[in-house]
Amino acid sequence: MAAKTKAVLDGIKVADFSWFGAGPICAEHLATFGATVVRVESETHIDALRTVAPFAKGKTGYNVSGYFNNFNAGKLSLTLNLNAEQSHGIALRLVAWADVFLTNITPRVVERWGLTYDKLVEVNPRIIACYQPMQGYEGPHRDFLGFGAVLTPITGYNYLSGFPNRPPIGLGTNYPDYVINPGHTLIAILAALHYRNRTGKGQRIECAQLESSVAPLAPAIFDYTVNGRVQCRSGNGLPNAAPHNAFKCRPLIEGSAALADERWIAIACFSDEEWRSLVEAMGNPGWACGDRFATLEGRKANEDALEAQIGAWRSDEEAYDLMDDLQSRGVPAGVVQSARELLDVDEHMKERGYYVYLDHPETGRAAYDGPPFVLSKTPGKLRSPGP
Amino acid sequence: MTDSDNDTPSALGDIRVLDLAGEIGQYCTKLLADLGADVIKIEPPEGDPVRNLPPFYHDDLGPEQSLYWLNLNINKRSVTLSLQSAEGRDVFKKLATSADVVVESFQPGYLDGLGLGYEALARLKPDVILTSITGFGQTGPHARYKAPDIVGVAMGGTMWLAGEPADPPNVPPWRQGYISASIIATAGTLTALLYRDTHNEGQHVDVSMQEALSITQETAMQTWDMLKILRNRNGSRGMIPIDIPGIGVYECKDGHVYGYVGSPGGAPWSDLLAWMIEEGAAEDLTEEPYHEICWSLSLRFLSSIATDPEVAKKLGSLPHIDQVLRRFVATKGKWEMYEEAQKRRLLFGIVSTPQDIANNPQLQYKRWLTPVDHPELNDTLNYPGTPYQLSETPWAIRRRPPRLGEHNDEIYGGELGLSIQQLESLRSAEVV
Repeated sequence: MAAKTKAVLDGIKVADFSWFGAGPICAEHLATFGATVVRVESETHIDALRTVAPFAKGKTGYNVSGYFNNFNAGKLSLTLNLNAEQSHGIALRLVAWADVFLTNITPRVVERWGLTYDKLVEVNPRIIACYQPMQGYEGPHRDFLGFGAVLTPITGYNYLSGFPNRPPIGLGTNYPDYVINPGHTLIAILAALHYRNRTGKGQRIECAQLESSVAPLAPAIFDYTVNGRVQCRSGNGLPNAAPHNAFKCRPLIEGSAALADERWIAIACFSDEEWRSLVEAMGNPGWACGDRFATLEGRKANEDALEAQIGAWRSDEEAYDLMDDLQSRGVPAGVVQSARELLDVDEHMKERGYYVYLDHPETGRAAYDGPPFVLSKTPGKLRSPGP
Repeated sequence: MTDSDNDTPSALGDIRVLDLAGEIGQYCTKLLADLGADVIKIEPPEGDPVRNLPPFYHDDLGPEQSLYWLNLNINKRSVTLSLQSAEGRDVFKKLATSADVVVESFQPGYLDGLGLGYEALARLKPDVILTSITGFGQTGPHARYKAPDIVGVAMGGTMWLAGEPADPPNVPPWRQGYISASIIATAGTLTALLYRDTHNEGQHVDVSMQEALSITQETAMQTWDMLKILRNRNGSRGMIPIDIPGIGVYECKDGHVYGYVGSPGGAPWSDLLAWMIEEGAAEDLTEEPYHEICWSLSLRFLSSIATDPEVAKKLGSLPHIDQVLRRFVATKGKWEMYEEAQKRRLLFGIVSTPQDIANNPQLQYKRWLTPVDHPELNDTLNYPGTPYQLSETPWAIRRRPPRLGEHNDEIYGGELGLSIQQLESLRSAEVV
């Protein structure tokens, strides 16, 4: 890049005492927009993600996990054994230097390390101290253990995800760890920085992962508190659309039945106009042209039959061609993309340059999730690979 | 509304937001409103279509009774305005001169076509921040593709990893694509606001739902990039390639729990075995070969399968160990299993229903559910709370969600200074 781009958070210093996903991703976004972020780890309290796959091909050690590296680009790393008594003074010097303190370590340990808010304001009254406990610093479950895999079911995602004839399997990932918890935390920190710009005052933020993760499921919780209804998982449908599902297309490799070669397309019709355009795209087959499916009410009442017919129609189609055709007719459609498609196939992602490839001394060149939003005057930038 | 209206300071009490956002962006403007911003929701005269979405208060359909809408629009004010008419656009421009932030989610180019794009807004208010939230962002070949939530979670990679192999990939519940786009848009808006604090300049924030969701692929992106191995949907196992006793969904008497025994941080499998022995439920797991395997079950065990043939030999015993554990868990209630396991530092979580969340002792302790009076319904509704607490600038319910156009007179008359006659003529022309 020729001209030095302006960084929004230039001069903001972050003492990042977090680990796993929810904390480090939040701090990475601060680094991407210009903050100086110092990760604090130690050999006795290493970020466990450093030991989780995937590892760069043929490589071992603490610095080659793609899981860890993707959440820690642009940061500096410092090792400090916080269990050692002499370390406390150093930790507090870091706090005195920082604008933002961040940790998602369990309250019991944060207290043992002497890093609670009352201790931090003694050395830095303007600090914005952000705590992301699993459940909270107070309350009957404050010492309950957990991380994303256990938090996802506790916060309702498992019960509400998937098909009703299946057990509550969840979303296949530690879902709230990646956008919901780091994102909510980031919002709270940025809002607190704005407040400090106005008033000079820092503050304590608690973004308990329990509360942060249940907040996006508010409609289901509200339906219970107001109507007493206990919503359950109900597959891929929506009350205001039909069809609304993923449909299998021609596999990537002709004749292959492998899961990795499957191709699915999501198709949704919210209006009767979208439905008529879909019927046209299907070549006006007899089954689709009568009154039975003409209105949303009719399509919802006969949704299984409708989706079986659509399923039979598109099974030989190439998913991307079908998506482009349907979208050109105004029908919402999208290929169910895997990581392979997102990285290698999706021309749109390439043109926007979302994924960033960085050279890492141990892993070599590797892909990273890029800045999560685009700012027209002060774009974000991943300044270095994971430390 | 300014800070002086309320004794409690709020983080964004000095910020005014014009909210043109459709469903994809309403969680964004909710977060801004809950942080204290004065969010003016601009609805078409016939009302925001999201007002028509279920669930409804007592299942009674009506534009003021969608619980989905009410939750997303608490703390906002509402005016009606048609941007289709020139008079409506003039009114919008008057509003824009006092706006710090405008949030919108139209198809890229739509506002430009109305003469209300970023350049036009910046002429009216040089330091304005325009936040645009769409499925694919403002640029690129898919920018104008229609993108309801399902298209976002499909194209963003979230669905590929969710579900049983025998089912279609699963759509996450309650529009998680919209939620992610809104969260990222809020962060983008506030980042731009911090730049404005120090440089007095606004800018255009471009948010793509697809990009916002990419990181929810967990390790799938890196696994493909580094190793050319594809992660696929595999039910409840997530990133674990084989079934390991103690990891996954377990059925209780009255529901389910989810276990992750053997991962670092929690108590080891031997503690779970000790508990089963205490309760006379260990069956033959106290005997070999099972006993020794129970002592060694952990994520490390898993990672040594590929390299250590002795470990690989033990795999045949795992289904039996799992069955014994399943029989043990089936004798417990889900809350009992969750709380007792956690007392023993064993990693189990309850699979909460919405009812369980409402009754969760930790959330109750924190008073997460918040009663809000709705005089028009002659009722008090228990609203879900916020994701975080800020000690100096706490969340406050400043107003219940607005009725359609409730603040037309207050804002058009009181704040913009339109006369009663002007307002009346806008009304009869169906501009407001």
